[in-house]
Amino acid sequence: MRLLIVEDNVELSRLVANGLAAAGYESDIVGSTEEAREAVHNVTYAAMILDLGLPDGDGLSVLRELRRQMEPLPVLVLTARGGVQDRVNGLRSGADDYLAKPFAMEELVARLEAILRRPGQLLGRSLRLANLVYDTESRQIFIDDKPRIISSRETSVLEILLRRQGRVVPKKNVEDHIFGLEGEVASNAVEVYVSRLRKQLTEHGAKVVIHTIRGVGYMMAEEK
Amino acid sequence: MAWGGFQIGSLTGSTVRAPSFKSLISRIVFLHIIAVAVVAIFLPLVLFWLLNSEIDQLHRAAMRAQAETLAERIAVQGDGKVTFNLPESLRGLYSEAYGRYQYDIRDDEGRLLFSSHRKTGDVSSDTISGAEVTQTVDSATFHIRVGEDLSHRDVITDDIVSNFFRRVGWITIPILLILLAIDIFIFRRAIAPLWRASEQASNIGPARTDIRLPTEQIPREIVPLVTAVNQALDRLEDGFRVQRQFTADAAHQLRTPLAILRTRIETLGNSAVRQLLRDDIEGMSRIVAQLLEIAELDTLVLDPGETADLRAVCAEVVGAIAPFAIAQHKDIALKGAEEPVAVRGNADMLQRAIFNLAENAIKYTAPSTSVDVEVCGDGAVRVRDCGPGIRPSEQTLIFQRFWRGDHRHTDGAGLGLSIVREVVDDHAATVAVENLPTGGAQFTLRFRLAGEASAPWSAQPD
Repeated sequence: MRLLIVEDNVELSRLVANGLAAAGYESDIVGSTEEAREAVHNVTYAAMILDLGLPDGDGLSVLRELRRQMEPLPVLVLTARGGVQDRVNGLRSGADDYLAKPFAMEELVARLEAILRRPGQLLGRSLRLANLVYDTESRQIFIDDKPRIISSRETSVLEILLRRQGRVVPKKNVEDHIFGLEGEVASNAVEVYVSRLRKQLTEHGAKVVIHTIRGVGYMMAEEK
Repeated sequence: MAWGGFQIGSLTGSTVRAPSFKSLISRIVFLHIIAVAVVAIFLPLVLFWLLNSEIDQLHRAAMRAQAETLAERIAVQGDGKVTFNLPESLRGLYSEAYGRYQYDIRDDEGRLLFSSHRKTGDVSSDTISGAEVTQTVDSATFHIRVGEDLSHRDVITDDIVSNFFRRVGWITIPILLILLAIDIFIFRRAIAPLWRASEQASNIGPARTDIRLPTEQIPREIVPLVTAVNQALDRLEDGFRVQRQFTADAAHQLRTPLAILRTRIETLGNSAVRQLLRDDIEGMSRIVAQLLEIAELDTLVLDPGETADLRAVCAEVVGAIAPFAIAQHKDIALKGAEEPVAVRGNADMLQRAIFNLAENAIKYTAPSTSVDVEVCGDGAVRVRDCGPGIRPSEQTLIFQRFWRGDHRHTDGAGLGLSIVREVVDDHAATVAVENLPTGGAQFTLRFRLAGEASAPWSAQPD
């Protein structure tokens, strides 16, 4: 699995490449939009880490071009501009995620893996948190490597929380994920499923915890 | 008249010691009243004088006509004797009993030949005015003088003159006052576009550099000033644009080295020093981020029509902060309105302000307690913590840049709440802080609802 780093600062790109190598990912480094276009054209990469401020233009132009060509390559945008507006512009141009400099290497790797884990991407099969593993294709749950049975709706809740572990998932998203377009849903349905899921996870000895952020949603994290 | 007065006033105002009026209208009214007073006094006097001289003229012409009638009655007989035959019809007119008209007829040497008044024999008294004609009859010259006693003058002409002031003279004052009112009206209409322009100008600020003064309908004399101001604003806006560009460049220049430093530190072996360096980088990155945020806020151009859903903004903030809160064994909750609350403002900026408040609250709230972010339907957001509260003496200081309540426990540069203040000022919103009876502090941000007609900075879009 090869990654492409598009970053004009030689020092930073080398450090990022080393960091990714330590996490088990090989990468190529290019320093301009022109080289990036050429690299994407010639090699099939698993994902691209794209800096926005490049000497020969804006990284977003490369991204827009890729998306116009219906190129599904996952892109993580790196930028020195951390404003929400920049983030919105980046995501609208087709970025999968966005990271402001300076960033922690761990976070870069985590975000990258989150992108790669999205449906259709290379890490799409299993989601992992502490001693809990979820296979997204077979919808099977393993705790301490032993398969466990959890009811269907609760499994849906688990999946969405696990995909965005460590981050808050709005209640509305959980609701949509469980019920889809089923129409009228009881207002406390999500609460009910979350509390059942909590109970089942505890019974099975999973070392994870589902936090309720009142008024907003839920967040799954490792138990500490 | 008004414009003449205004121009004199404005051109010589500094040299002439005239009452210094700040308002053009009061200056015009003042000068106009003086002009009205002067005209009201002199115009009747001039008219009166003209009327008098006209009546005198008329009178003299009448006298001359009478004298000429009398002259035709003079005849020189063959023996050289002069006869004067006053017609019967005129006798009454010149009778002493009537006493109004007199005549004298003298020869060339000034000898009195005939007279209506034997007693005086002279018509040139003070109260008598008249005319004199010279008539030559058979080479003898006669001087005929006819006079009228003014104290007996025709009642009608007397009335006209004596009643002139009472009946006609006063009319000048209302006419002049009407003129004054019309002038004020015209002038107010003329400067109405200036009022609109100044209203527009009052919206210009660091956050709104795109506004220009309208030049349509502005009086031609003032257009150069308005144009010059607009050109000055163009130059200022260019300056701001350069500043904004600099901010973006500075972000790039500062953050990339920080990213390198941070990544390099992470490649160090796992040691206590590495953790310390990481914390240092963390703090430094935070300060850089906040400084850039402030620089960005200083130059941000607000779109007056923009609205944001306060509830969605708060939900995003609470969601973003929750992981940090949970990591510190603290809790954060969103309360209040369930429905969207549309307020005037930029969602990104509102988010920054509320984020800073919530982050601050998480920092100060006691472990295992909760920070509440409450959204109210009236456009208010309350952020409550269960911390030590804020001393009354510090409640205004906390919004200053680089102010820190407790230097030992804060990791930031004391910029968070100044960012809140800045966002609040840009949005014509308010921020208040109070201590709760249950302990802890409560910050209240109050934004304008999107339905409310006029936020000061959005009075008129271009």
